[in-house]
Amino acid sequence: MKKLTAILAATTCLSSAALADDDRIIVGFATAETGFMQAYDKPAQDAAMIRIAEINEAGGLLGKPIEVVKADTKTDRAEGAKAGLSVIDQGADMVVVSCDYDFGAPAALAAESNGLISFFLCAESIKAGIQGVGPNSFSASVLAAVQGATMAEWAYNKKEARTFYRLLDTWTEYNKGICDGFDWMLPQLPEAKLVGEDTFLNEDASIAAQITRIKSLPEEPDAIMLCTMMPGAVSAIKQLRAAGINSMILNGSGVDGSYWLSAVPDLSNFYVPVQGSIYGDDPNPAVNEFNAKYTEVTGAPPATQYTYPGYVMIDVWAKAVERAGTTETSAVVAELEKMVDEPTLFGPRTFTSELHHQNRARYLIVETNNGKPGVVDEWTISSPIPVADLMK
Amino acid sequence: MGGLMQVIFDALSLGSLYALGALGIALIFGVMRLVNFAHGDVIAFCVFALLWPSVDAVAIIFAGNLPWFLLIPFTLAVGAGLSVLSEVVVFRRFRRANPATMMIASFALGFVIRYFLLMLFSSRPKSISLLPGLSQPVEILGARIPLLQLITILVTIAVLIGLTAFLRRTRFGLEMRAAAENFTMARMLGVRANRVIMGAFALSGALAAAIALILGSQTGTANIMMGASVMLMAFIATVIGGMGSLAGAVIAGFALGAIATVMQVILPPDARAFRDAFVYGAVILVLIFRPQGLLAARGTKERV
Repeated sequence: MKKLTAILAATTCLSSAALADDDRIIVGFATAETGFMQAYDKPAQDAAMIRIAEINEAGGLLGKPIEVVKADTKTDRAEGAKAGLSVIDQGADMVVVSCDYDFGAPAALAAESNGLISFFLCAESIKAGIQGVGPNSFSASVLAAVQGATMAEWAYNKKEARTFYRLLDTWTEYNKGICDGFDWMLPQLPEAKLVGEDTFLNEDASIAAQITRIKSLPEEPDAIMLCTMMPGAVSAIKQLRAAGINSMILNGSGVDGSYWLSAVPDLSNFYVPVQGSIYGDDPNPAVNEFNAKYTEVTGAPPATQYTYPGYVMIDVWAKAVERAGTTETSAVVAELEKMVDEPTLFGPRTFTSELHHQNRARYLIVETNNGKPGVVDEWTISSPIPVADLMK
Repeated sequence: MGGLMQVIFDALSLGSLYALGALGIALIFGVMRLVNFAHGDVIAFCVFALLWPSVDAVAIIFAGNLPWFLLIPFTLAVGAGLSVLSEVVVFRRFRRANPATMMIASFALGFVIRYFLLMLFSSRPKSISLLPGLSQPVEILGARIPLLQLITILVTIAVLIGLTAFLRRTRFGLEMRAAAENFTMARMLGVRANRVIMGAFALSGALAAAIALILGSQTGTANIMMGASVMLMAFIATVIGGMGSLAGAVIAGFALGAIATVMQVILPPDARAFRDAFVYGAVILVLIFRPQGLLAARGTKERV
């Protein structure tokens, strides 16, 4: 009897998958609808839904409407694998997985073993792609290392920063990624000097000892490269400023957003790289239009730049499907890998057969001055970070 | 000189936080042999009590806008109230259960509190500017430290003096000490168990609230997991100090703060990422040589 049910189940899956190819294209979201990751997956997913709606309004993809199926990973790795299989069973042609590598990988691996394309919503580790999942996996965001490298090169060239201090929060791979990019860039800047370095932990109640080390330097450094993320970032920034350290603070994109600025009133000399501006001042008017549309659909404007990769993801995937003329995995992957500086709303994107992630990207630089963030510049690192350096 | 003072202040302020946490755990352990793992979640709850429930990215500050002379009593009352409530609703039913069962119940209660906060506020950390006046640097004995660090140390010392006076000079304090030493005997001699236990929970909750205020103004963040790391360190401090010994808990709390700070100062950069491994290594050493803790409480000694 059990066997019969299994066979029945298998055939229904097959038939629904077969049906799917005929008249519609299905995008499967195996993302967190509940639990810790929900707050991070939802904005990017909403942005993806906006792009899907736009494509459908314009007549669909290959003349077929895009439909969406979902399964909740419940912010649980074991549930993630199940959620991946669930959307595949529902006929997904492409599987979208959680923002974070660790939480998204189980569903991405399920897609990989079923020969389907998977896209991480906004993971910024090199593992979110070929290196960690397999040849059909992509990430819609930019590598964390690019953020650190961008900030170092920009501050050196545009802010005349010469002395740098490196403060790493060892909690996540993302944090280490930012500092790795910074470490890669610094020796290429002829007059730049690392005057000190230290580590802390995101959950540290106090970073007083680390601050004491900075204060005991003969001179305050020009810039502090702060490789951390929420929630410890706010705490670190607040404590640095409370101790009277006024150096320029350089960060990764993880601290973008104005929602936390109330914790550090009148914060100044604070710089963040972003893919697009949520502050209504993006140099590209289309981004501001997107923000308006996002506000209309979800009831609130984007809280951070991590909303945007969801839009980019559907955009580049749909282009590849259109060019391939099919949703068949190998054809779409081949088209994606042909993309070199493919224009998107949030900067050009490149995929190669070696890297399904961005090791170079245009970033807008957001400065926070007197508690007010705004775009002041844009920067693209002078050369892409070699894959070998990213794998360290 | 300034540099050394700086390190001493750093160690004292971190130690204060651990000492306050350890005291909160030791108080309850003393009277009912319960290791209250929900303590960390009470800390988080106290910070969130200052916000209006919403899942938006921007926090809606509610009670957090009160002037300090109302804000502090309000938060302390929330902590004490929640703690007493947890005793009345949960722990009272486990009075006769063995310590392991009670510990599991406290874990469960912690999860309930945490997921209640998750439901109301989402997992996104919220920002809150709590007592912003304390974020000014001050100059003292050649060291330049945030005012908050100084206040933390002073508050902890005041709490310790106050608590000692309370335990030694008042009838309630005497009852509590008697209950900690031998609960059954104390009851037979007319100590009202429920009153003493509720008193211990209220004090412990208020101490959690004090940590919440310090952490909240130091980090500017409300996060559903924020109590966890302090709770862990505080629990370790109570173990090193000798379970149930209040003085031991405080001494061990300060010692842990000092070890963590000194490790951060003396370790080479590559080893600093593993600072906590060194701190816990020191913990293991202490327990090897003094398994009963630095100051073993009289009630917990083996009487063979």
